[in-house]
Amino acid sequence: MNFEAVIGIEIHVEMKTNSKSFSGGPVKFGQEPNTLVAPLDMAFPGTMPILNKQVVINAIRVSNALNMTIDHELWFDRKNYFYSDLPKGFQITQDKRPIGSNGSLTVKLSDGRLKTIEIERLHIEEDTCKQLHLDDITLVDYNRAGTPLIEIVSRPNIRSGEEAMKYVETIRQIVVFAGVSDGKMEEGSMRCDVNVSVRPFGSDKFGTKVEVKNLNSVANVRTAIDYEVERQTKLILSGGAVEQETRRFDEKTQTTIMMRKKTDAVDYKYFTEPNILPIRLSDEFIQNAIDTCPELASSKQERYTSNGLSDEEADQMLQNLLMADYLDECIKVNPKHTKLFWNWITGEATAFLNKKFQSFDKFKVTPDNLEKLINMVENGTLSMKMARQVFEVMCEENKDAEQIASDLGLKQDSNEDEIKKIVEATVDEFPQAVVDFKAGKDRAVGFIVGQIMKKTKGKVNPQIASKLVLEALKSR
Amino acid sequence: MYLGKTVEELHELLVSKKVTPLELTKEAIEALKKEETNAIETICEKEALEFAATLVEPEVDNLFWGIPYVAKDNFSTKDILTTASSEILKDYVPVYDATVITKLKEAKAVLIAKSTLDELAMGGTGTTGHKGTTYNPYDPTHTYKIGGSSCGSASLTAQGIVPFALGSDTGDSVRKPASYAGLVGFKPTWGRISRYGLFPFAPSLDHVAYFTRSVKDSAALLEVLAGEDLAHDATCSVKPVEKYTEGLTGDLKGKKIARIKEIDESVKDKVILEGLDKVQKALEEAGATVEEVNFDQKLLAAVYPAYMIISCAEATSNNANLDGIKFGPRVGEASSYQDVMMNARTNGFSELIRRRFVIGSYSLFKANQEELFLRAQKVRRLIVNKTNEILSQYDAILTPCGGIVRNPFASNSDDVSDRLDIHTIIVENHLGIGNFGGFPSISVPMGLDNGFPFACNIMTKVFTEKETLNIAYAIEKKLGLKNLSTMEVK
Repeated sequence: MNFEAVIGIEIHVEMKTNSKSFSGGPVKFGQEPNTLVAPLDMAFPGTMPILNKQVVINAIRVSNALNMTIDHELWFDRKNYFYSDLPKGFQITQDKRPIGSNGSLTVKLSDGRLKTIEIERLHIEEDTCKQLHLDDITLVDYNRAGTPLIEIVSRPNIRSGEEAMKYVETIRQIVVFAGVSDGKMEEGSMRCDVNVSVRPFGSDKFGTKVEVKNLNSVANVRTAIDYEVERQTKLILSGGAVEQETRRFDEKTQTTIMMRKKTDAVDYKYFTEPNILPIRLSDEFIQNAIDTCPELASSKQERYTSNGLSDEEADQMLQNLLMADYLDECIKVNPKHTKLFWNWITGEATAFLNKKFQSFDKFKVTPDNLEKLINMVENGTLSMKMARQVFEVMCEENKDAEQIASDLGLKQDSNEDEIKKIVEATVDEFPQAVVDFKAGKDRAVGFIVGQIMKKTKGKVNPQIASKLVLEALKSR
Repeated sequence: MYLGKTVEELHELLVSKKVTPLELTKEAIEALKKEETNAIETICEKEALEFAATLVEPEVDNLFWGIPYVAKDNFSTKDILTTASSEILKDYVPVYDATVITKLKEAKAVLIAKSTLDELAMGGTGTTGHKGTTYNPYDPTHTYKIGGSSCGSASLTAQGIVPFALGSDTGDSVRKPASYAGLVGFKPTWGRISRYGLFPFAPSLDHVAYFTRSVKDSAALLEVLAGEDLAHDATCSVKPVEKYTEGLTGDLKGKKIARIKEIDESVKDKVILEGLDKVQKALEEAGATVEEVNFDQKLLAAVYPAYMIISCAEATSNNANLDGIKFGPRVGEASSYQDVMMNARTNGFSELIRRRFVIGSYSLFKANQEELFLRAQKVRRLIVNKTNEILSQYDAILTPCGGIVRNPFASNSDDVSDRLDIHTIIVENHLGIGNFGGFPSISVPMGLDNGFPFACNIMTKVFTEKETLNIAYAIEKKLGLKNLSTMEVK
């Protein structure tokens, strides 16, 4: 019997707004515990939620990128349950009316196939606080409490680990490029829960689903799903039955491990949040949020390829938002040099920053100056080797490229008259080369050019030198 | 001796430097220490005296400069113990001031005490606070209630110790005790005064409300308390604050006022009906016409059950933060977070509160929500629609605050409702309509019976406080029942 996998994914995205969903408490990562806490974040009696406008703008932007219908009225609900990481004893969320509904996302699979994944809903909510469980005590950090979240829930029409991985990867790219989140799965700013079940091909009934948590990388999404599909298939083929349970992905063994059997679902006693009256969103507000959204990866990709990059080159650039931002600045200076910029950025610049453990926002070389360097190579003033030397200095201190070249005495001689003199002198020095050339040995040209470079310490433009050497040898 | 005076009177004395804020404050605090109705949670003696001492140069245009007041102990007061009269908050010292506390501080009124309430403002008897029963100062025999939940604020204002006091009103928690204590009790429109810092009972019904001993003081206080609070309370209106005191003409020419037949018919004490007739006459003398209208007995009888379900449902959620982890004492050995919460909440809440939480949770469960919570919301909507329908034809609705002048402790507002007859259910709970629709609603004394005061209530369209207050002013003027206190009446 052949089985197909039925996969649905819930993604929680932590926003990098200035303040929290419903309070003025600042949002920052990696700060001293309990230093970013407004009274509401700790649920001090009498505090009331004030909705953060940027959170709504972000949710609209992501909803739009996921082709969703955007609700023109904002409604919030309370999800009530008791847990030690939940300050208010309820979470403010959007149960009945999510801001985004009925979306879809098309992803490209490795075999070139396109797959459209349907998305049920996108809603705004708030994060809980962070707990640190020690031996016999639990420490609670309220810094995270109230951090804005969006939850994106797919429909169960994902069919493989690869589709799931591409889906998560693309959503990650959207939230990162839209400026909504840093999208770091390994740090929990994007969290993924997947529901996996299998069923015989052609069946329209769903199998028993298993929830897998703790997927802290895009690659793990795929690994965990592939493992889980195989586990469930084997289980059924051997006469067993899949049990409804929650499992977690185990990094070490690359498998999923049972956490708990699903018992009856908690009754969250949802009801409308009485302290936030429904908020009407005007067409203008929504349109403005969309129009002012930072450019998404898909649009950048198109732009890059139309500027001469290959798909793969464009993709490589889109792996890193800061790098892509840098390229965009360079393209503004001279779009015709897109590929040359790309070479410098992915090559020398990346190497330099990696060595320094820095990212492109710390990169000192201004696009103008890089353009200058590229032009010096283009017009033969500098050899590539010289340009690299100049670039090294530019990386440390963004001094003018021409100035650096002249300070270092790096200037390629491209004056034909000057070079001709050197060529004639050198040929005179090595009469054997003329003999060899006449005998049909072309390598005599290279030999003379080599001698010239040696003599001039590489300052002569090699293309021009070659041309002139050839002419000189022919004329002897 | 400056006790028993209104804000207006005290202001005159302060401005003419016949008395200083410090002297007033000292006198009021001495009176607090001697009061015998168990109305106080905390006397803010040190803070009050320090603040009063800074008030030297009188502010002629600021009516509240140097005026002592008390706040119900469910208003968040920075660095001052705030218990909500509940064991679970018995050690809770807030880190911030409620907006109304801030506004009064800015107006240089002097907070001298936090007053008792029914635990967490849930209850209408004045008997369920963690310090026990708060008594009615009009009744030294301790037989009759002052009502709740703003019992302490009502008592201290009725004793003349302060000229005004903050309370909160979710069902009738200011307007009902105002009736038993001979006070003006005003609950403006939902959203007129910021609720930031008021411990929530049921936010969709909760109002900041207050007691004064004159309608004019009530109007003046609204000018101080009302207004937007964009940074803290998103439900608070941005409508401009009006000059409510300037609307007090007592002239009701052309005004149409409705009396509700089914409510009047449910009144038990004849003296209350006589009082209402007197009020009607006063209104007519002031130029208004008064007519009787039908509401719908079934709808009126549904106010109480709908109120119980909605308020308890919201309450169970609002008070879920009191879990022993952040707020509330750790009780006993706990080996899990569930134990911590269970112990704190079992020990921290009285039986009545726990019962209401169970009712609230039960009506919110997925399986019951349609039948209970959502149905209660629909009933609420029908009641509000009916009220708006009447208010589209009339400027105001005149009702009694309750069916009896004196309310003995023997009865209990949390009694199972089928033990109560329909008339009692209607007449003792209809003030909740003001909370359902957020209508401005004011209780004004309309009579005294054997030394016990009782009041009528005026309700008008949302955000027509000027109207509400002017009608109340006309009644006060005609009946002459202004500035009642136990100092005068007893």
